[in-house]
Amino acid sequence: MKMPGDKPTSFVERIQTIDRRILYALIFISVIVPLFLPLKLPVPVTPETRDFFNAVEALPDSSIVMLPFDFWPSTMAETEPMAVVGLRHLFGKHCYVVGLSNVGMGGPTIADRLLDSIGGEFGRIYGIDYVNLGYKPDYRAVMLGMGTRISDIFPTDYRDTPIEDIPLMRRVPNYDSVAFIFIVADNVAVDYWVGLVNARFGKPMGAGVTAVMAPKNLSFVQAGQLIGLMGGMKGCAEYENLLERPARATRGMDSQSMIHLFIVVFIIMGNVGYYAGKRRAARS
Amino acid sequence: MDSVWTQPFFYFFLPAFFTLAVYSFLFKDNPWFKFAEHVFAGLSAGYYAGLIFTSVIKQQMIVPLVSSGRWDMLIPGVLGCLLFMRFFPKVHWLTRIPLAFVIGTTAGIMFLQQLHGLILPQMKSTLLRLGDFSNIVIVVGVLTTLIYFYFSKPHTGALGGVAKVGIWFIMVAFGAHFGYTVMARVSLLIGRMQFLFVDWLHWAQ
Repeated sequence: MKMPGDKPTSFVERIQTIDRRILYALIFISVIVPLFLPLKLPVPVTPETRDFFNAVEALPDSSIVMLPFDFWPSTMAETEPMAVVGLRHLFGKHCYVVGLSNVGMGGPTIADRLLDSIGGEFGRIYGIDYVNLGYKPDYRAVMLGMGTRISDIFPTDYRDTPIEDIPLMRRVPNYDSVAFIFIVADNVAVDYWVGLVNARFGKPMGAGVTAVMAPKNLSFVQAGQLIGLMGGMKGCAEYENLLERPARATRGMDSQSMIHLFIVVFIIMGNVGYYAGKRRAARS
Repeated sequence: MDSVWTQPFFYFFLPAFFTLAVYSFLFKDNPWFKFAEHVFAGLSAGYYAGLIFTSVIKQQMIVPLVSSGRWDMLIPGVLGCLLFMRFFPKVHWLTRIPLAFVIGTTAGIMFLQQLHGLILPQMKSTLLRLGDFSNIVIVVGVLTTLIYFYFSKPHTGALGGVAKVGIWFIMVAFGAHFGYTVMARVSLLIGRMQFLFVDWLHWAQ
Protein backbone atom coordinates (compact mmCIF):
# COMPACT_ATOMS: atom_id res chain seq x y z
CA MET A 1 0.00 0.00 0.00
CA LYS A 2 1.36 3.43 -0.99
CA MET A 3 1.48 6.11 1.69
CA PRO A 4 1.42 9.88 1.16
CA GLY A 5 4.99 11.11 0.75
CA ASP A 6 6.21 7.88 -0.87
CA LYS A 7 8.24 8.45 -4.02
CA PRO A 8 6.29 7.82 -7.26
CA THR A 9 7.49 4.69 -8.99
CA SER A 10 5.51 4.31 -12.23
CA PHE A 11 5.31 6.70 -15.20
CA VAL A 12 1.61 7.31 -14.46
CA GLU A 13 2.36 8.39 -10.88
CA ARG A 14 5.29 10.51 -11.99
CA ILE A 15 3.31 12.60 -14.48
CA GLN A 16 0.64 13.23 -11.86
CA THR A 17 3.11 14.49 -9.26
CA ILE A 18 5.30 16.58 -11.56
CA ASP A 19 6.69 19.75 -9.91
CA ARG A 20 4.81 22.81 -11.17
CA ARG A 21 8.12 24.66 -11.55
CA ILE A 22 9.15 22.20 -14.26
CA LEU A 23 5.95 23.06 -16.12
CA TYR A 24 6.71 26.79 -15.74
CA ALA A 25 10.21 26.21 -17.13
CA LEU A 26 8.83 24.27 -20.11
CA ILE A 27 6.29 27.03 -20.83
CA PHE A 28 9.07 29.61 -20.59
CA ILE A 29 11.14 27.65 -23.13
CA SER A 30 8.10 27.30 -25.44
CA VAL A 31 7.67 31.08 -25.43
CA ILE A 32 11.25 32.18 -25.94
CA VAL A 33 12.45 29.62 -28.50
CA PRO A 34 10.17 31.01 -31.28
CA LEU A 35 11.36 34.53 -30.40
CA PHE A 36 14.91 33.48 -31.36
CA LEU A 37 13.97 31.01 -34.11
CA PRO A 38 10.76 32.26 -35.78
CA LEU A 39 8.69 29.42 -37.22
CA LYS A 40 6.60 31.74 -39.44
CA LEU A 41 3.50 29.60 -39.03
CA PRO A 42 0.55 30.71 -41.19
CA VAL A 43 -2.18 32.86 -39.58
CA PRO A 44 -5.45 32.18 -41.43
CA VAL A 45 -7.85 35.14 -41.41
CA THR A 46 -11.26 34.72 -39.76
CA PRO A 47 -14.38 36.36 -41.29
CA GLU A 48 -14.86 38.65 -38.25
CA THR A 49 -11.40 40.22 -38.63
CA ARG A 50 -11.77 40.47 -42.42
CA ASP A 51 -15.12 42.27 -41.98
CA PHE A 52 -13.53 44.70 -39.50
CA PHE A 53 -10.62 45.39 -41.87
CA ASN A 54 -12.94 45.83 -44.85
CA ALA A 55 -15.17 48.26 -42.91
CA VAL A 56 -12.18 50.49 -42.12
CA GLU A 57 -10.84 50.08 -45.65
CA ALA A 58 -14.21 51.17 -47.06
CA LEU A 59 -14.20 54.47 -45.11
CA PRO A 60 -13.75 57.48 -47.37
CA ASP A 61 -10.28 59.06 -47.02
CA SER A 62 -10.17 61.90 -44.49
CA SER A 63 -13.03 60.45 -42.43
CA ILE A 64 -13.15 61.24 -38.74
CA VAL A 65 -12.75 58.12 -36.62
CA MET A 66 -13.09 57.84 -32.87
CA LEU A 67 -10.62 55.45 -31.21
CA PRO A 68 -11.30 54.70 -27.53
CA PHE A 69 -8.24 53.25 -25.77
CA ASP A 70 -10.38 51.39 -23.23
CA PHE A 71 -7.72 49.07 -21.84
CA TRP A 72 -5.60 48.72 -18.74
CA PRO A 73 -1.80 48.47 -18.87
CA SER A 74 -2.09 44.86 -17.64
CA THR A 75 -3.50 43.71 -21.00
CA MET A 76 -1.21 45.79 -23.21
CA ALA A 77 0.38 42.66 -24.67
CA GLU A 78 -2.89 41.99 -26.47
CA THR A 79 -4.45 45.43 -26.84
CA GLU A 80 -1.52 47.71 -27.65
CA PRO A 81 -0.74 45.95 -30.97
CA MET A 82 -4.46 46.33 -31.84
CA ALA A 83 -4.35 50.07 -31.23
CA VAL A 84 -1.08 50.30 -33.19
CA VAL A 85 -2.40 48.41 -36.23
CA GLY A 86 -5.65 50.41 -36.11
CA LEU A 87 -3.81 53.73 -36.01
CA ARG A 88 -1.51 52.65 -38.86
CA HIS A 89 -4.53 51.71 -40.95
CA LEU A 90 -6.38 54.95 -40.17
CA PHE A 91 -3.43 57.32 -40.57
CA GLY A 92 -2.49 55.46 -43.75
CA LYS A 93 -5.94 56.35 -45.11
CA HIS A 94 -5.50 59.99 -44.04
CA CYS A 95 -8.30 59.61 -41.47
CA TYR A 96 -8.54 62.02 -38.55
CA VAL A 97 -8.41 60.28 -35.18
CA VAL A 98 -10.17 61.36 -32.00
CA GLY A 99 -8.64 59.37 -29.15
CA LEU A 100 -10.01 59.05 -25.64
CA SER A 101 -9.98 56.56 -22.79
CA ASN A 102 -12.66 55.24 -20.47
CA VAL A 103 -10.02 53.54 -18.33
CA GLY A 104 -8.41 55.85 -15.82
CA MET A 105 -5.46 53.71 -14.81
CA GLY A 106 -2.91 54.34 -17.56
CA GLY A 107 -5.45 54.63 -20.38
CA PRO A 108 -4.97 58.31 -21.35
CA THR A 109 -1.19 58.06 -20.97
CA ILE A 110 -1.02 55.03 -23.27
CA ALA A 111 -3.32 56.83 -25.74
CA ASP A 112 -1.03 59.87 -25.76
CA ARG A 113 2.11 57.79 -26.33
CA LEU A 114 0.63 55.68 -29.14
CA LEU A 115 -1.05 58.60 -30.93
CA ASP A 116 2.19 60.58 -30.89
CA SER A 117 4.41 57.70 -31.95
CA ILE A 118 2.20 56.30 -34.75
CA GLY A 119 1.07 59.80 -35.78
CA GLY A 120 4.78 60.69 -36.02
CA GLU A 121 5.40 57.72 -38.36
CA PHE A 122 2.92 59.25 -40.81
CA GLY A 123 3.87 62.90 -40.23
CA ARG A 124 0.55 63.74 -38.60
CA ILE A 125 0.18 66.79 -36.36
CA TYR A 126 -1.47 66.91 -32.94
CA GLY A 127 -4.64 68.98 -32.89
CA ILE A 128 -5.00 68.97 -36.68
CA ASP A 129 -4.88 65.27 -37.60
CA TYR A 130 -5.43 63.67 -34.22
CA VAL A 131 -6.29 64.55 -30.65
CA ASN A 132 -6.32 62.85 -27.26
CA LEU A 133 -9.36 63.88 -25.23
CA GLY A 134 -8.10 61.99 -22.18
CA TYR A 135 -10.20 60.39 -19.48
CA LYS A 136 -13.42 61.21 -17.68
CA PRO A 137 -14.99 58.89 -15.10
CA ASP A 138 -18.30 57.04 -15.58
CA TYR A 139 -18.15 55.86 -19.17
CA ARG A 140 -21.94 55.58 -19.44
CA ALA A 141 -22.33 59.32 -18.90
CA VAL A 142 -19.33 60.04 -21.15
CA MET A 143 -20.70 57.95 -24.05
CA LEU A 144 -24.20 59.40 -23.84
CA GLY A 145 -23.00 62.96 -23.24
CA MET A 146 -20.75 62.96 -26.32
CA GLY A 147 -23.86 62.34 -28.41
CA THR A 148 -25.11 65.81 -27.48
CA ARG A 149 -21.92 67.86 -27.22
CA ILE A 150 -18.39 66.56 -26.77
CA SER A 151 -17.20 69.86 -25.27
CA ASP A 152 -19.63 69.39 -22.33
CA ILE A 153 -17.85 66.18 -21.39
CA PHE A 154 -14.32 67.16 -22.44
CA PRO A 155 -13.97 70.96 -21.97
CA THR A 156 -10.23 70.47 -22.50
CA ASP A 157 -8.10 67.73 -24.06
CA TYR A 158 -5.62 65.56 -22.12
CA ARG A 159 -2.97 68.30 -22.45
CA ASP A 160 -5.30 70.91 -20.91
CA THR A 161 -5.90 72.77 -24.19
CA PRO A 162 -9.45 74.16 -24.34
CA ILE A 163 -11.44 72.08 -26.82
CA GLU A 164 -12.49 75.15 -28.86
CA ASP A 165 -8.80 75.94 -29.51
CA ILE A 166 -8.21 72.55 -31.18
CA PRO A 167 -8.78 72.77 -34.97
CA LEU A 168 -9.84 69.11 -35.32
CA MET A 169 -12.39 69.33 -32.51
CA ARG A 170 -14.10 72.36 -34.11
CA ARG A 171 -15.23 69.88 -36.78
CA VAL A 172 -16.42 67.28 -34.25
CA PRO A 173 -19.20 68.70 -32.07
CA ASN A 174 -20.74 65.27 -31.43
CA TYR A 175 -21.08 61.78 -32.97
CA ASP A 176 -22.70 63.19 -36.12
CA SER A 177 -19.27 63.96 -37.61
CA VAL A 178 -17.77 60.60 -36.61
CA ALA A 179 -17.78 58.05 -39.44
CA PHE A 180 -16.65 55.01 -37.45
CA ILE A 181 -15.73 53.99 -33.91
CA PHE A 182 -12.66 51.73 -33.66
CA ILE A 183 -12.88 50.34 -30.12
CA VAL A 184 -9.87 48.73 -28.43
CA ALA A 185 -10.96 47.37 -25.07
CA ASP A 186 -10.28 44.80 -22.40
CA ASN A 187 -13.44 45.30 -20.34
CA VAL A 188 -17.19 45.76 -20.31
CA ALA A 189 -16.94 49.19 -22.00
CA VAL A 190 -17.66 47.43 -25.33
CA ASP A 191 -21.14 46.52 -24.03
CA TYR A 192 -21.84 50.21 -23.49
CA TRP A 193 -20.42 51.36 -26.82
CA VAL A 194 -22.72 48.81 -28.43
CA GLY A 195 -25.70 49.18 -26.10
CA LEU A 196 -25.69 52.97 -25.86
CA VAL A 197 -23.82 54.51 -28.80
CA ASN A 198 -24.61 51.98 -31.54
CA ALA A 199 -28.20 51.45 -30.39
CA ARG A 200 -29.06 55.09 -29.81
CA PHE A 201 -26.90 57.00 -32.30
CA GLY A 202 -26.53 54.25 -34.93
CA LYS A 203 -22.78 54.68 -35.20
CA PRO A 204 -21.00 51.84 -37.03
CA MET A 205 -18.27 50.29 -34.93
CA GLY A 206 -15.78 47.44 -34.72
CA ALA A 207 -13.87 46.22 -31.70
CA GLY A 208 -10.47 44.81 -30.89
CA VAL A 209 -10.83 42.93 -27.63
CA THR A 210 -8.79 40.59 -25.45
CA ALA A 211 -9.18 36.88 -26.14
CA VAL A 212 -11.09 36.43 -22.85
CA MET A 213 -13.79 38.77 -24.15
CA ALA A 214 -13.92 37.48 -27.72
CA PRO A 215 -16.57 34.71 -27.36
CA LYS A 216 -19.04 37.08 -25.72
CA ASN A 217 -18.47 39.84 -28.25
CA LEU A 218 -18.94 37.47 -31.19
CA SER A 219 -22.64 37.61 -30.37
CA PHE A 220 -22.57 41.37 -31.15
CA VAL A 221 -21.04 40.59 -34.53
CA GLN A 222 -23.67 37.93 -35.21
CA ALA A 223 -26.40 40.44 -34.30
CA GLY A 224 -24.86 43.10 -36.57
CA GLN A 225 -24.18 45.47 -33.67
CA LEU A 226 -20.45 45.27 -34.32
CA ILE A 227 -19.26 45.21 -37.92
CA GLY A 228 -16.22 43.10 -37.09
CA LEU A 229 -14.04 41.86 -34.28
CA MET A 230 -10.35 41.34 -33.55
CA GLY A 231 -10.18 38.63 -30.90
CA GLY A 232 -6.95 38.63 -28.90
CA MET A 233 -3.42 38.33 -30.26
CA LYS A 234 -4.63 35.98 -33.02
CA GLY A 235 -7.19 38.52 -34.30
CA CYS A 236 -4.58 41.28 -34.21
CA ALA A 237 -2.08 39.12 -36.13
CA GLU A 238 -4.78 38.55 -38.77
CA TYR A 239 -5.39 42.31 -39.07
CA GLU A 240 -1.64 43.00 -39.31
CA ASN A 241 -1.40 40.50 -42.17
CA LEU A 242 -4.41 41.99 -43.95
CA LEU A 243 -2.73 45.40 -43.70
CA GLU A 244 0.50 43.74 -44.93
CA ARG A 245 2.38 45.14 -41.94
CA PRO A 246 3.25 42.13 -39.77
CA ALA A 247 4.30 43.38 -36.35
CA ARG A 248 4.26 42.34 -32.72
CA ALA A 249 1.13 40.17 -32.73
CA THR A 250 2.26 38.23 -35.81
CA ARG A 251 5.65 37.58 -34.19
CA GLY A 252 3.94 36.43 -30.98
CA MET A 253 1.76 33.88 -32.76
CA ASP A 254 4.63 31.35 -33.10
CA SER A 255 5.03 31.29 -29.31
CA GLN A 256 1.25 31.15 -28.93
CA SER A 257 1.02 28.06 -31.17
CA MET A 258 3.95 26.36 -29.38
CA ILE A 259 2.36 26.85 -25.96
CA HIS A 260 -1.04 25.66 -27.16
CA LEU A 261 0.56 22.50 -28.50
CA PHE A 262 2.39 22.05 -25.21
CA ILE A 263 -0.83 22.55 -23.18
CA VAL A 264 -2.75 20.07 -25.36
CA VAL A 265 -0.01 17.45 -24.84
CA PHE A 266 -0.09 17.98 -21.08
CA ILE A 267 -3.91 17.84 -20.93
CA ILE A 268 -3.76 14.49 -22.75
CA MET A 269 -0.98 13.23 -20.46
CA GLY A 270 -2.87 14.40 -17.36
CA ASN A 271 -6.04 12.64 -18.47
CA VAL A 272 -4.18 9.44 -19.38
CA GLY A 273 -2.53 9.52 -15.94
CA TYR A 274 -5.85 10.17 -14.21
CA TYR A 275 -7.72 7.33 -15.93
CA ALA A 276 -4.80 4.91 -15.65
CA GLY A 277 -4.55 5.67 -11.92
CA LYS A 278 -8.31 5.19 -11.49
CA ARG A 279 -8.17 1.86 -13.34
CA ARG A 280 -5.26 0.67 -11.23
CA ALA A 281 -7.06 1.67 -8.00
CA ALA A 282 -10.20 -0.21 -9.14
CA ARG A 283 -8.11 -3.33 -9.89
CA SER A 284 -6.33 -3.28 -6.54
CA MET B 1 17.91 65.50 -17.07
CA ASP B 2 19.48 63.92 -20.14
CA SER B 3 16.86 61.92 -21.99
CA VAL B 4 19.54 59.48 -23.21
CA TRP B 5 19.85 58.33 -19.61
CA THR B 6 16.26 58.68 -18.46
CA GLN B 7 14.61 57.01 -21.46
CA PRO B 8 16.31 53.60 -21.17
CA PHE B 9 16.05 53.71 -17.39
CA PHE B 10 12.35 54.52 -17.10
CA TYR B 11 11.17 52.72 -20.21
CA PHE B 12 13.30 49.58 -20.04
CA PHE B 13 15.30 48.97 -16.88
CA LEU B 14 12.57 49.75 -14.33
CA PRO B 15 9.82 47.75 -16.11
CA ALA B 16 12.29 44.87 -16.59
CA PHE B 17 13.17 44.91 -12.91
CA PHE B 18 9.51 44.85 -11.85
CA THR B 19 8.62 42.16 -14.40
CA LEU B 20 11.36 39.90 -13.02
CA ALA B 21 10.37 40.75 -9.43
CA VAL B 22 6.76 39.71 -10.08
CA TYR B 23 7.71 36.54 -11.96
CA SER B 24 10.05 35.53 -9.11
CA PHE B 25 6.85 34.55 -7.25
CA LEU B 26 6.59 31.53 -9.57
CA PHE B 27 9.57 30.07 -7.74
CA LYS B 28 8.39 31.10 -4.28
CA ASP B 29 7.19 34.12 -2.32
CA ASN B 30 10.06 36.55 -1.69
CA PRO B 31 10.81 40.18 -0.67
CA TRP B 32 11.30 41.33 -4.30
CA PHE B 33 7.78 40.23 -5.17
CA LYS B 34 6.41 41.93 -2.04
CA PHE B 35 8.28 45.14 -2.94
CA ALA B 36 6.84 45.13 -6.48
CA GLU B 37 3.35 44.48 -5.11
CA HIS B 38 3.52 47.41 -2.69
CA VAL B 39 4.99 49.81 -5.25
CA PHE B 40 2.18 48.88 -7.64
CA ALA B 41 -0.52 49.52 -5.02
CA GLY B 42 0.98 52.87 -4.00
CA LEU B 43 1.58 54.04 -7.56
CA SER B 44 -1.94 53.14 -8.65
CA ALA B 45 -3.48 55.12 -5.80
CA GLY B 46 -1.26 58.14 -6.53
CA TYR B 47 -1.90 58.00 -10.28
CA TYR B 48 -5.67 57.82 -9.75
CA ALA B 49 -5.70 60.69 -7.25
CA GLY B 50 -3.75 62.93 -9.64
CA LEU B 51 -5.82 61.91 -12.66
CA ILE B 52 -9.18 62.46 -10.98
CA PHE B 53 -8.10 65.81 -9.56
CA THR B 54 -6.95 67.02 -12.98
CA SER B 55 -9.63 65.51 -15.21
CA VAL B 56 -12.65 66.08 -12.98
CA ILE B 57 -12.15 68.62 -10.22
CA LYS B 58 -9.87 70.95 -12.18
CA GLN B 59 -11.02 70.54 -15.82
CA GLN B 60 -14.74 70.10 -15.21
CA MET B 61 -15.37 72.25 -12.16
CA ILE B 62 -12.68 74.80 -11.30
CA VAL B 63 -11.82 75.90 -14.86
CA PRO B 64 -15.45 76.44 -16.08
CA LEU B 65 -16.27 78.12 -12.77
CA VAL B 66 -13.34 80.52 -12.80
CA SER B 67 -12.87 81.21 -16.51
CA SER B 68 -16.48 81.10 -17.77
CA GLY B 69 -18.41 81.95 -14.62
CA ARG B 70 -20.33 78.66 -14.80
CA TRP B 71 -21.82 78.83 -11.28
CA ASP B 72 -24.03 75.80 -12.03
CA MET B 73 -20.86 73.70 -11.72
CA LEU B 74 -21.12 74.26 -7.97
CA ILE B 75 -24.16 71.95 -7.83
CA PRO B 76 -22.28 68.72 -8.72
CA GLY B 77 -19.38 70.02 -6.60
CA VAL B 78 -21.59 70.37 -3.54
CA LEU B 79 -23.26 67.01 -4.22
CA GLY B 80 -19.81 65.42 -4.39
CA CYS B 81 -18.82 66.99 -1.08
CA LEU B 82 -22.01 65.65 0.52
CA LEU B 83 -20.73 62.11 -0.10
CA PHE B 84 -18.05 62.76 2.54
CA MET B 85 -20.72 63.46 5.18
CA ARG B 86 -20.71 59.76 5.97
CA PHE B 87 -17.67 60.48 8.17
CA PHE B 88 -19.82 62.75 10.40
CA PRO B 89 -22.48 60.67 12.22
CA LYS B 90 -24.78 63.63 12.98
CA VAL B 91 -25.23 64.57 9.32
CA HIS B 92 -24.43 61.28 7.60
CA TRP B 93 -28.01 61.21 6.19
CA LEU B 94 -26.96 63.94 3.76
CA THR B 95 -25.05 61.30 1.72
CA ARG B 96 -28.44 59.95 0.60
CA ILE B 97 -29.01 63.00 -1.63
CA PRO B 98 -26.06 62.46 -4.03
CA LEU B 99 -26.50 58.67 -3.78
CA ALA B 100 -30.16 58.97 -4.84
CA PHE B 101 -29.03 61.00 -7.83
CA VAL B 102 -26.35 58.43 -8.77
CA ILE B 103 -28.68 55.44 -8.33
CA GLY B 104 -31.50 57.08 -10.27
CA THR B 105 -29.41 58.06 -13.30
CA THR B 106 -27.50 54.75 -13.34
CA ALA B 107 -30.74 52.75 -13.22
CA GLY B 108 -32.19 54.79 -16.09
CA ILE B 109 -29.10 54.42 -18.28
CA MET B 110 -28.74 50.71 -17.47
CA PHE B 111 -32.38 50.07 -18.37
CA LEU B 112 -31.94 51.79 -21.70
CA GLN B 113 -28.66 50.01 -22.43
CA GLN B 114 -29.77 46.54 -21.37
CA LEU B 115 -33.19 46.51 -23.02
CA HIS B 116 -32.78 48.68 -26.08
CA GLY B 117 -29.10 47.97 -26.68
CA LEU B 118 -28.65 44.34 -25.72
CA ILE B 119 -31.75 42.22 -25.06
CA LEU B 120 -33.93 43.30 -28.01
CA PRO B 121 -31.19 43.24 -30.70
CA GLN B 122 -29.89 39.91 -29.38
CA MET B 123 -33.40 38.42 -29.40
CA LYS B 124 -33.97 39.73 -32.90
CA SER B 125 -30.75 38.11 -34.10
CA THR B 126 -32.00 34.67 -32.99
CA LEU B 127 -35.17 34.92 -35.10
CA LEU B 128 -33.55 33.20 -38.05
CA ARG B 129 -34.73 31.18 -41.04
CA LEU B 130 -33.89 27.56 -40.38
CA GLY B 131 -32.38 27.23 -43.85
CA ASP B 132 -28.79 26.48 -42.98
CA PHE B 133 -27.00 24.49 -40.33
CA SER B 134 -25.54 27.47 -38.41
CA ASN B 135 -28.98 29.02 -37.96
CA ILE B 136 -30.38 25.72 -36.68
CA VAL B 137 -27.51 25.46 -34.15
CA ILE B 138 -28.16 29.04 -32.93
CA VAL B 139 -31.92 28.57 -32.55
CA VAL B 140 -31.68 25.14 -30.91
CA GLY B 141 -28.87 26.37 -28.64
CA VAL B 142 -30.81 29.42 -27.44
CA LEU B 143 -34.06 27.49 -26.84
CA THR B 144 -32.52 24.48 -25.06
CA THR B 145 -30.30 26.69 -22.90
CA LEU B 146 -33.29 28.82 -21.87
CA ILE B 147 -35.21 25.65 -21.03
CA TYR B 148 -32.29 24.47 -18.86
CA PHE B 149 -32.76 27.65 -16.80
CA TYR B 150 -36.51 27.06 -16.43
CA PHE B 151 -36.79 25.81 -12.84
CA SER B 152 -40.57 25.89 -12.25
CA LYS B 153 -40.96 22.28 -13.35
CA PRO B 154 -38.73 19.28 -12.54
CA HIS B 155 -36.28 18.43 -15.34
CA THR B 156 -37.77 15.01 -16.10
CA GLY B 157 -39.16 13.39 -19.24
CA ALA B 158 -39.10 15.44 -22.44
CA LEU B 159 -38.25 18.64 -20.53
CA GLY B 160 -35.28 16.84 -18.91
CA GLY B 161 -34.06 15.65 -22.33
CA VAL B 162 -34.24 19.14 -23.80
CA ALA B 163 -32.52 20.60 -20.70
CA LYS B 164 -29.74 18.03 -21.15
CA VAL B 165 -29.17 19.29 -24.71
CA GLY B 166 -29.02 22.79 -23.18
CA ILE B 167 -26.30 21.61 -20.76
CA TRP B 168 -24.27 20.38 -23.73
CA PHE B 169 -24.49 23.80 -25.36
CA ILE B 170 -23.46 25.45 -22.09
CA MET B 171 -20.50 23.07 -21.77
CA VAL B 172 -19.34 23.85 -25.32
CA ALA B 173 -19.61 27.58 -24.49
CA PHE B 174 -17.54 27.04 -21.31
CA GLY B 175 -14.94 25.14 -23.34
CA ALA B 176 -14.70 27.96 -25.88
CA HIS B 177 -14.40 30.53 -23.09
CA PHE B 178 -11.71 28.49 -21.36
CA GLY B 179 -9.73 28.07 -24.59
CA TYR B 180 -9.87 31.80 -25.27
CA THR B 181 -8.89 32.51 -21.63
CA VAL B 182 -5.80 30.31 -21.97
CA MET B 183 -4.92 32.19 -25.16
CA ALA B 184 -5.33 35.53 -23.37
CA ARG B 185 -3.12 34.56 -20.42
CA VAL B 186 -0.46 33.11 -22.71
CA SER B 187 -0.52 36.36 -24.71
CA LEU B 188 0.34 38.30 -21.55
CA LEU B 189 3.36 36.06 -20.95
CA ILE B 190 4.44 36.43 -24.59
CA GLY B 191 4.11 40.21 -24.26
CA ARG B 192 6.40 40.28 -21.25
CA MET B 193 8.94 37.99 -22.90
CA GLN B 194 8.92 40.17 -26.04
CA PHE B 195 9.57 43.14 -23.80
CA LEU B 196 12.47 41.44 -21.98
CA PHE B 197 14.21 39.78 -24.93
CA VAL B 198 13.33 42.12 -27.81
CA ASP B 199 12.86 45.62 -26.37
CA TRP B 200 15.21 45.48 -23.39
CA LEU B 201 18.01 43.05 -24.15
CA HIS B 202 17.75 43.16 -27.97
CA TRP B 203 18.57 39.44 -28.06
CA ALA B 204 15.69 38.50 -30.36
CA GLN B 205 13.75 40.08 -33.25
